Amino acid sequence: MQYDLIIIGSGAAGLGAALYSGRYRIKTLVIGKEFGGETAKAGTIENYPGIQAIDGYELMDAMKQQTKNLGVEVIDAEATEVKRQEHCFEVCAKKATYQTHAIIFAIGAERRRLNLPNEKELTGKGVHYCVTCDGPVYSGKTIALVGGGDASVKGAVLAAEYVNKLFLIVRGKEVTAEPINLERLKNLGDKIEVLLETEVKEIVGEKMLEKLILSREFKGSTEMVVDGLFVEIGALPNVELAKSLGVLLDEHGYIKTDAMMQTNIDGVFAAGDAVNHFGSFKQDITAAAMGAVAATSAYNDRKIHGELCEHHLRPAPTSTMQFKE
Amino acid sequence: MAKVTIYTTPTCVYCKMTKAFFKENNVQYEEKDVSADRAAADEMIKKSGQMGVPVIDIDGQILTGFDKEGLSRLLNIT
Repeated sequence: MQYDLIIIGSGAAGLGAALYSGRYRIKTLVIGKEFGGETAKAGTIENYPGIQAIDGYELMDAMKQQTKNLGVEVIDAEATEVKRQEHCFEVCAKKATYQTHAIIFAIGAERRRLNLPNEKELTGKGVHYCVTCDGPVYSGKTIALVGGGDASVKGAVLAAEYVNKLFLIVRGKEVTAEPINLERLKNLGDKIEVLLETEVKEIVGEKMLEKLILSREFKGSTEMVVDGLFVEIGALPNVELAKSLGVLLDEHGYIKTDAMMQTNIDGVFAAGDAVNHFGSFKQDITAAAMGAVAATSAYNDRKIHGELCEHHLRPAPTSTMQFKE
Repeated sequence: MAKVTIYTTPTCVYCKMTKAFFKENNVQYEEKDVSADRAAADEMIKKSGQMGVPVIDIDGQILTGFDKEGLSRLLNIT
């Protein structure tokens, strides 16, 4: 199967790109391992222009429908390999292989782990990485949430609707979040306690999580007995597939692009959380914007180089109307 | 027809994905919200040995998370 553009990743960046490529009328496939990316797991989104409040999954579903209405194909599958084919590319998934003129890597990031012994064994058994998913399971119980950024604060506010008590464990000297979310955190009152300059050193439990060992004493002990532990300490860019193609990374390990989201390889673009374009400010609006720019670059690239490859015999799209004399 | 029970929370995206899959494939199911029903939560933990959602019980066979291949296999969906 041949495409003008394959977008790897179906989060805000990927679907933002697909919206534009669909409108540019270039044949596009979106292939995503996990539909909706981080946005789908983010809970309520209140900072996407024009929308008062929407569940992240619903927003992603609306974006998907919008792109499908433009003729973009969206499939749930993992791109396992990307290879050069002449000056085009081949994208391999488990059940099929696709050829394309251009690629946008919009593959986001993987949640960071604490990397403590026992963490993997107790994942799902008291240790979790998705507050919106599993936070409500702890209705009436006590949980700890590790992380001092906006995602952890949003998670704490959501979990507080369900749990009896929540400890927010922050490594740094302060909690850094959108002021509106900090206000909501403060409004939770006694239900939440914030432990600054504190780390989880050990996760204790056999079949289920039993307690945590902290880096410093809290109420006279380094032991903290909780029913659940949620980890919200950011994410690492998902760059392996791009690296395998020879895409260069920046000094922080993110995909390196120019202002138009072009990587060092002709025909290869990147957008979203795998790119450090807006520094640590990673939002739906920035991801979708990067996607739109990447799609525009792919479209322009297709116009310039589209006729060169035997895999792409379709005429390049045009933005000007041709009239017969 | 297989007896299908899904244990969910209201905000869980993988629960939504699983229910969308059921809808697409005309699978009838019973939903139990473990955030509002303690007995259902205990039942889920007993069946699956863990506390992540969704948990899907298909005629006594247990799946955790949105496992499209596993669901297709157990529900004979090609």
